[in-house]
Amino acid sequence: MTEPPAVANPEVAVASEFAELASGEQIATAAAALERNGIRPLLAATGADARGLVRSLLPGGAEVYNNTSQTLEAIGVADDIERSGRYQPLRLRLYRMDREMQRREMRTLAASPNYVVGSVHALTEGGSLLIASASGSQLGPLVSGAGQVILVIGAQKIVRDVEAGMRRIYEYCYPLEDARARQAYGVPSGVNNILIINKVMTPGRVTAVIVNERLGF
Amino acid sequence: MSMFDYDARPVTPLPVIVGTAASRGAYAIRDFLSRNGYPFEWVDAGQPEAVRAVLGVAEVEPSALPLCILPDGTRLASATVEQVAAGLGMVAAPSLPEYDLIIVGAGPAGLGAAVNAASEGLRTVVIEAVAPGGQAGTTSMIENLLGFPDGISGSELATRAVVQARRFGAELLLARPLAGVSADGPGYVAELSDGTLVHGRAVLFASGVEWRRLEVPGIDDLLGAGVYYGAGPSEALACTGSRVAVVGGGNSAGQAVVRFARYARQVTLLVRGSDLGASMSQYLIDQLSGIPNVDVRVGTQVVGLEADDRLRAFVVLSGDGAESVRLPADALFICIGGTPRTDGAAGIGLATNTAGYLVTGGDPDGRWPLPREPLPLETNVPGVFAAGDVRCGSVKRCAAAIGEGSMAVALIHRRLAEVGGD
Repeated sequence: MTEPPAVANPEVAVASEFAELASGEQIATAAAALERNGIRPLLAATGADARGLVRSLLPGGAEVYNNTSQTLEAIGVADDIERSGRYQPLRLRLYRMDREMQRREMRTLAASPNYVVGSVHALTEGGSLLIASASGSQLGPLVSGAGQVILVIGAQKIVRDVEAGMRRIYEYCYPLEDARARQAYGVPSGVNNILIINKVMTPGRVTAVIVNERLGF
Repeated sequence: MSMFDYDARPVTPLPVIVGTAASRGAYAIRDFLSRNGYPFEWVDAGQPEAVRAVLGVAEVEPSALPLCILPDGTRLASATVEQVAAGLGMVAAPSLPEYDLIIVGAGPAGLGAAVNAASEGLRTVVIEAVAPGGQAGTTSMIENLLGFPDGISGSELATRAVVQARRFGAELLLARPLAGVSADGPGYVAELSDGTLVHGRAVLFASGVEWRRLEVPGIDDLLGAGVYYGAGPSEALACTGSRVAVVGGGNSAGQAVVRFARYARQVTLLVRGSDLGASMSQYLIDQLSGIPNVDVRVGTQVVGLEADDRLRAFVVLSGDGAESVRLPADALFICIGGTPRTDGAAGIGLATNTAGYLVTGGDPDGRWPLPREPLPLETNVPGVFAAGDVRCGSVKRCAAAIGEGSMAVALIHRRLAEVGGD
């Protein structure tokens, strides 16, 4: 198993092989594998197309949690969820709750949104999804807590297999996320939890929108 | 940091409010946004580095405060609640030319009525001057509401009720108080403060009560500068490590003390009466007795305030009047009694009792025009109903208000059948 580097270095990551877009053949292979694994694949040529697809998948008034994701921010999905008024954005509801008095309510709400929209750190050609998280709080809803899961995935995240996906997390995503966390929160990040979804037992619960653009990291 | 510091934070830009801690206008905006559940960032204009981080300069012209920066970058100088609400898209026009029911007030009674009316197919609109939830909406934890064994905060209850009401098709018109109601054929027309007209076949006043004013010299000058009516959720975190006093003997005061005790160094509850049990639920009395940094003083009233640019201390007199005591304090929250909110009701001649609460189910001034008697919860004006705290004789409890709102809808159906079309 790959171990995390002692010191995160985002400059190393920028030139990484993991920043390169997958070929059309790789995208098709990954999409077919996802479908075999019970995950509905949708293909989008651009971020704008992906944004439209996500809108079409989210009914008006839906309770939606948007995972922290550079991908969602880049293509405007985070803005749609938090600001458009079309949905009930759970992040805003959680943010205003009293950390002392309402901790249990917060845990309950965050654990079981009707819809969760996020991204992944790697998608293998065999149709596995890899997601790393410092706090881990976003992983439970992806596996079972959320009613519906929508994942938007830039095509540079497609890798050959799980081993390559783990390398992508440690060597590429972690340094960039660590730099982002230090700037955004003033604290380091960490590969503290890793979720690997190989197969989904409830058909149609998880949708993966693969975008033929480099989005997020 | 907890998981919520990462995961319960909006990732899109928030409105930023720049102002002084002692500013009444800035407090009004903070309170409005907090009570509406709208996240924002607060920047103290007295902190040059914080100001520079958002504005690029270390100082702001005092006349421009409070300054609001909207998420799209628009700057509102000398911002008001109305401007901020409009700038954030919180002000909507009614979508229908006429409604079956206009509900005035989005507290527990109003929202209870909205959910029931809309779920039964009535075209329903709710007018709310400030934010959903009413007085209960600022309550940190309601522990005796049926179905919530672990308790529920007032804001969360309001959020859920609004979602539920909207799911059934009810509309909410926020941030504008009712200016007046007048007859409009067999129905009524309500005018909002911005001139918006809302037509309805029946009206339900569920406008609740306002906190009663505390009569102490100089108190009005300190509103938002250490003196607050109600226990606004925006201020709890700001009380971290400070000395706080709460005035009042009801459940709202008790719940405020429980919340502030989590943050403040010391919380003093000041109760005018000699028996806390006369007005506060026993479960709250039991909780207060077990919190080490809470001091409960019964038979006590505030008689003076000390301040520079904000509150620094207050003076209390004990029940026997023998001695006044000066208590240093950073904040004083007043949660006493209530004054019925009947603004806009006078124009159609609604009868009230001497305290101003709306009278229902009777004809106290002999002006009832119909052969039938007024329905329970119907005022002395046919088709105008009242429910919840604003109603004379109501029980001042959240569950009771929700029940009255629901009950009112059943009676309103009878009225609508009477005027046709139901």
